Amino acid sequence: MSQVEISSLNKVYTVGGEQITAVHDLSLTIEKGDLLAVVGHSGSGKTTLISMIGGILKPTSGTIVVDSTDICTLDDAQLSEYRNRKIGFMFQFASLLPVLTAMENVLLPRIFAPGGGSNHHRRAEEYLDVLGLADKRHAFPGELSGGQQRRVAIARALINEPELILADEPTGDLDEETEADILRLFHQLNREKEISFVIVTHSSEIAAECRKRCRMSHGVLEQEV
Amino acid sequence: MTTHASQTKFGKLAVALRNLKRNSFRTTVLVSAIAILVALLIFATFFTMSVSSTIEKASNRLGADLLIVPVGARDFAQEFLLESKQKSFYMPKEILPRVREIEGIESVTHQTYLETITGLCCDVAQAQIIAFDQHSDFIVKPWLQNSIGRALGPGEAIAGSETYENLGLELLEVEKTIFNKRFKVVGVLERTGTGLDNAIFMTEADLEQIVAGGSSPLKQDQISIIFAKIGRDLDPYHVGLDVEGNIIEVDVVTRREMGSELLRKLSDINKIFVLSTVMGAILTVFLVWAIFSAIANERASEIGIMRAVGASESHIVRLFILEVVLLGVLGSLIGTALGTYLFMSLTKSFSLLRDLSVPVLSIRPLPAYLLQQTLIGAASIAVGTGICIAGALGPINRIKRLEPHVSMKGSLLCRR
Ligand SMILES: Nc1ncnc2c1ncn2[C@@H]1O[C@H](COP(=O)(O)OP(=O)(O)O)[C@@H](O)[C@H]1O
Ligand SMILES: [Mg+2]
Repeated sequence: MSQVEISSLNKVYTVGGEQITAVHDLSLTIEKGDLLAVVGHSGSGKTTLISMIGGILKPTSGTIVVDSTDICTLDDAQLSEYRNRKIGFMFQFASLLPVLTAMENVLLPRIFAPGGGSNHHRRAEEYLDVLGLADKRHAFPGELSGGQQRRVAIARALINEPELILADEPTGDLDEETEADILRLFHQLNREKEISFVIVTHSSEIAAECRKRCRMSHGVLEQEV
Repeated sequence: MTTHASQTKFGKLAVALRNLKRNSFRTTVLVSAIAILVALLIFATFFTMSVSSTIEKASNRLGADLLIVPVGARDFAQEFLLESKQKSFYMPKEILPRVREIEGIESVTHQTYLETITGLCCDVAQAQIIAFDQHSDFIVKPWLQNSIGRALGPGEAIAGSETYENLGLELLEVEKTIFNKRFKVVGVLERTGTGLDNAIFMTEADLEQIVAGGSSPLKQDQISIIFAKIGRDLDPYHVGLDVEGNIIEVDVVTRREMGSELLRKLSDINKIFVLSTVMGAILTVFLVWAIFSAIANERASEIGIMRAVGASESHIVRLFILEVVLLGVLGSLIGTALGTYLFMSLTKSFSLLRDLSVPVLSIRPLPAYLLQQTLIGAASIAVGTGICIAGALGPINRIKRLEPHVSMKGSLLCRR
């Protein structure tokens, strides 16, 4: 069953009267349980693509159908709920709120989730433990290393048990050991919880470990299966 | 686990509080600005209401429709009756029957005022003596009835409620010497809320003895003031004009006119209050706007992140409003406390308030008074918070519309 169905997707940025086509006529299907790597040069449109899939950027044209709804037609409240419940986003750059502790950053998506559920604290603690941050729960981002911050962001992406995780160069500035840990976790979540992954990466090793691979160049996607 | 309590509380409120704490200087500036504005508002409201209601109550409590005083003593009389300033002014007693004859006048009574002189003649501190005519009196009688339940006998005096405290007459039934005559102070008059509270009362008969003794500066058959009641449905103003027309030696003050001089002063002060409050409000809105514009820009990327993890536009607005309301409520609470404190403590240093015969807080029945203060407090908090929201709304609306991708990227690129 296809989870996300993208057809004829375009994104044109207009900067000072100049038009930049970041994504051009792109079609892609993501199946449930997919582990998809997207590789490509810097500026090829990878971040733009997953931002549109994640509902934080409106396409210029095209459709992104998730569970038989085109997310481009959703209003702000619906789209926000989609981001909150179905998507776990890991950004290319550090993305923790500096005024919140690691624990609170992990719980941030809960604030915007419609009520119910009570075991989030336990779950947040578990994720932080699994990610090796048991003793950093109450540390602020400024007190954490780059790798630790990334791991907090991973726990945050998991807290609402999303169906799809979009990871934008999740191991970009990490040492090899941490990188391997994180990838192991992704594979485990993918296997055990059937969470689908789209991982944007520069690393051919990471790409090699994924079940599917695509390459982007100049906004165009080439499937590499 | 000790940390668990704080974890369960994590929500929008916690985020708002953290954001307020992150720049405590800015928070302090905003809270102070709102506090000062609200304090000004509270102070102005209390001040105005107290002065006008004190004047109104005091003139109503005197129970006379007209005050008839010697020509030129109009202001003195009001100053004594409303502001408790010691005053002496006299007219011949033969005016009394002439007033009584005028059409519309139903009953009259008179009083004679005399200032004690500290020293040989008297062993009470300086105070105003009021001699009243027990037969015709309708001014002092109700209060006297409540205090000692009978008329004042010869050689007896009764102290006004303020005088009692001021003179330190702790014991009742004490002997006092007033103008070389021994008096038995038989009681304390109930608080009247007028200048009568600051006087010592005696009967006219006793005063006549003092005058005959020659130890006072007062001459025979002089009185200070005539209080008159007029017939129902008559216009006090017209009866007053009649009195003044027929008796050229007197001035007349109607009940409604009482305190009009004070009220005129008050309305000028009010204009200044209104002007400074409005200017303060405009400045505060501008300050909040400027600071929240800066905050919105500063937090663009954080807002982008929150949007990305599921915050809708209305979530963002609510978060900011929460922050603004916290600021506004905190500032308003401090301002209300500050304004009330200022009012209480400055009451003594504003002559307009100090001289009012009653402590302003003792006028009303307590529950009504508390209700009123609560309403004023609540209104001030609403105004303070409203001003905060008004200032912050623009920047908040601007920031909520940014697409998450853009707001995140924009400032992340700047930062890194
Ligand atoms: N917010 C933006 N405004 C204007 N141009 C943008 C914006 N984001 C990306 N671009 C441009 O779109 C193209 C694709 O960018 P991006 O999706 O970030 O590529 P990648 O993630 O593969 O490095 C680049 O040319 C980039 O300059
Ligand atoms: Mg990128």
